Amino acid sequence: MTWRNPHFLGFAARPSKPLRVALGSALFVLCLALYLTASHLRHRDNPQDKILPSFGQMATAVYQMGFQRDTRTGEYLMLVDTASSLRRLFIGVLLAAALGLVLGLNMGLFPGVEALTAVFVTVVSIIPPLAVLPILFIAFGVDEFAKIMLILIGTFPLICRDIYLYTKKLPYEQVIKSLTLGAGAFTTAYRIVLPQVMPRLLEAMRLSFGAAWLFLIAAEAIASTDGLGYRIFLMRRYLAMDVIIPYVFLITALGFAMDVSLKRFVLWRFRWYSGR
Amino acid sequence: MSHHDRFLALENVYKAYDAKVVLDDIDLAVSRGEFCTLVGPSGCGKSTLLRLLLGQEAPTAGAIMLDGAPLGYADTRRGVVYQKYSLFPHLTVLDNVLLGKRITAGALASRAVRSAMRDEAVEYLRRMGMADHAGKYPHELSGGMQQRVAIAQALIMKPQVLLMDEPFGALDPGTRENMQVFILELWEEAGMTVFFVTHDLEEAVFLGTRLLVLSQYYTDGRGDGVQRGARIVADYQIKVASTRSKETADFGAFIAQIRREGFDPECRRHVADFNLRHPDSFHTVSAAELQR
Amino acid sequence: MKKALCTLVTLACLVSLFGGCAAQKEYPIAWSHYTGWEPWDYADAAGILKKWGDKYKIKIKLVRVNDYVESINLFTAKKYYGCAMTNMDALTIPALGGVDSTALIIGDFSNGNDGIVTKNETMVMGLKGKKVKLVQLSVSHYLLSRALSMNGMTEKDLTLVNTSDADIGSVFLSDPAGIAVTWNPILMNVAQSKGVNLIFDSSKIPGEIIDLMVVHSDAPDELKKALVGAWYETMAVMNGGAKAGEALAHMAKSAGTTVDGFKAQLATTAMFYKPGEAAKFARNKKLATTMEYVRTFSFEKGLYGQGNKTKDFVGISFPDGSVLGDRNNVKLRFDDRYMQMAADGKL
Ligand SMILES: Nc1ncnc2c1ncn2[C@@H]1O[C@H](COP(=O)(O)OP(=O)(O)OP(=O)(O)O)[C@@H](O)[C@H]1O
Ligand SMILES: [Mg+2]
Repeated sequence: MTWRNPHFLGFAARPSKPLRVALGSALFVLCLALYLTASHLRHRDNPQDKILPSFGQMATAVYQMGFQRDTRTGEYLMLVDTASSLRRLFIGVLLAAALGLVLGLNMGLFPGVEALTAVFVTVVSIIPPLAVLPILFIAFGVDEFAKIMLILIGTFPLICRDIYLYTKKLPYEQVIKSLTLGAGAFTTAYRIVLPQVMPRLLEAMRLSFGAAWLFLIAAEAIASTDGLGYRIFLMRRYLAMDVIIPYVFLITALGFAMDVSLKRFVLWRFRWYSGR
Repeated sequence: MSHHDRFLALENVYKAYDAKVVLDDIDLAVSRGEFCTLVGPSGCGKSTLLRLLLGQEAPTAGAIMLDGAPLGYADTRRGVVYQKYSLFPHLTVLDNVLLGKRITAGALASRAVRSAMRDEAVEYLRRMGMADHAGKYPHELSGGMQQRVAIAQALIMKPQVLLMDEPFGALDPGTRENMQVFILELWEEAGMTVFFVTHDLEEAVFLGTRLLVLSQYYTDGRGDGVQRGARIVADYQIKVASTRSKETADFGAFIAQIRREGFDPECRRHVADFNLRHPDSFHTVSAAELQR
Repeated sequence: MKKALCTLVTLACLVSLFGGCAAQKEYPIAWSHYTGWEPWDYADAAGILKKWGDKYKIKIKLVRVNDYVESINLFTAKKYYGCAMTNMDALTIPALGGVDSTALIIGDFSNGNDGIVTKNETMVMGLKGKKVKLVQLSVSHYLLSRALSMNGMTEKDLTLVNTSDADIGSVFLSDPAGIAVTWNPILMNVAQSKGVNLIFDSSKIPGEIIDLMVVHSDAPDELKKALVGAWYETMAVMNGGAKAGEALAHMAKSAGTTVDGFKAQLATTAMFYKPGEAAKFARNKKLATTMEYVRTFSFEKGLYGQGNKTKDFVGISFPDGSVLGDRNNVKLRFDDRYMQMAADGKL
């Protein structure tokens, strides 16, 4: 008798490919079915219901927002919103990543820098930026710069601390080794350690995007003229869920796509990192 | 090789971590070209001593001189091979071996210099039998292959002193013997000074021209309340030819003697009776310690 | 943080779906902070609501919702039987959401409670080409729109920056070239700061921004009567009643200001203390004109939603039986009957 792995139950389960696909989509299908039922029930009572719009209503809304020029500005609103939001998001996260990398790396390698900044960064990372918004307004205004700063402040501490701890965990033998190979402090930091930290940085960025979206939406809710968060908060004023739900989907899809592409990129570009 | 030139010299070297004394008054002189093997009970401070020689840590007290000048932080005069972490995981085998050359050549090196460096690295890899694996990353290699690359990486820099901390510790016996023969060949060829820490007494006797036993199992006149660190309790000169066969009775008797001198907590020698037979060997002991 | 709110709303919607069928004797009514609505809090605290509820054998539960828009959304989701809101929001949120709503009580109209404040400009004309911060699509937006049209300008002449009402005060004050449209009490707070000009306010468009108590049209008569009765008893107390001082002190505290501060806010709020006046206001032809402005504005701003091609899509009915828009799809009703009953002492 041959022993076989079960399909679904237990530690040794090895779901077959079709089963895996079915399992993976089950919860999505369930949510969809729940939504459709609820939406249908509400529409039977009130055909004008705005809270759980039908797919037809959402499709119309998406067509209006995404494929028709706005009567006032002559632009495709969904496109403009997406472009502005992504620009803010990327600039913010990239700045946070660059700063976090340089500072985290130096904190992890040089005890002097660590003594100077580690406690400070830890304390700063605990302050919820949204709670001190008025101070941020005074410091950075409320325009584009302020939104980027909010994302930066929101994501920098996580990235910086992650890089710092990761760098600190690298075997000290490596530093000594690179010194015996003729490197100085600068070469060690930027030629030996930095390339090793890069994939970790990308992973930290991956994790930060969640927070970055949150801060982006918050920033756009406070004061802005375009963006995904702006539109959602504007539409919220008259309960236009037929616009809000597709926008939420768009955000989810963008976030998911960025996460997957970063993951793929790390796998492809840093073979040694994923292979360890 | 025995010019007795005190190429490397340690005098009254102490190393303590907080209140814990690890190395307790180490006196040692090593001549150029010597192959020193260092053995001792686990946790006695062999790696610590190696770290001091490397410049990875500073001694708590005492002086370490290399070629007549105080030893500083790690530099290209010393090469190192650890049991692990010697290779950089993000570089291929070839890049790992080339790294030191590239760093010292600087960013402005001409194309000819670069290609010469590359040829040299490939030649080292070929000699290690690793030429076919030049494009692989360390994690794609077996432990023995990784150590060969690590040795190439250190040797290509032609260090004056090569420090190795249990480099073959994780290898299976067959690979290990190959590597032992191999390292001896390289040493004879390059004529550098080697410091080789090992757990394996046979390996130590087989490889070394000089065998040092570091141990905390000894007595002295400081009484029972003192927390003693390790000292060099035995120091042998080994005739190379006589130990190249592990099968002889002499070989076995020698190992048994080392085991008694350094590894047996029951059999503690007094500081005055340390077996320091090597001609370079010296020992500074205070009158108090000498008391029985 | 607001994401959490969104989640809550969705949850609330789902819950309402399944929970809506249970028999209810208790009627939850929502309100949010605003000068003209503070009396509701007093009516509750002083037992006036309970008294009128007992009279009609029902129980009224007054709930304060922190976020104004959220309170209207919850009303639209039928979590509340009634909700305090403005005429414009009554049209654009519940009525356009297909929820038949009745403006039961006309409490007051803004007579300076909404306004445009600036740091540098002294006239509406000066706003040309500038950035203006406001809660878009709110009554502030309506006010700005009216101010611009009265000065021969349109929205295209300036840039609107949607700014949350929670932050608009500090955002405006921290900006040396700030321009903002907002309402009380924020308006009063910033207008009193040094170097701030109030260049336009709702007293220039009297009677257009109206504060209401809106109920579902199919709410039971007892609820409507009890609410109106309680409200006008409270009005009587405020307006020279024996306990007027105590009532004002309570409301000032609830509004987070001093009695003097609250009185200052009341000065820019045209309260209808007498039910007869309110009923008369509801019957006035001018109300239809105002609602025409409001619906035109709402339609042009896209508040009618993506599918609706005309502002006649939804009907607004008035006490005289006239209807603005679709007679067959009346979703917002101005009803003077209960206020008139109160005036006639028939409650
Ligand atoms: N950084 C440190 N801080 C505190 N104690 C240390 C430190 N490094 C080593 N020690 C202590 O010093 C002693 C010697 O350590 P070391 O690693 O040199 O021993 P070893 O002889 O190499 O042992 P092994 O044969 O097991 O490798 C040990 O007791 C160890 O606990
Ligand atoms: Mg060790």
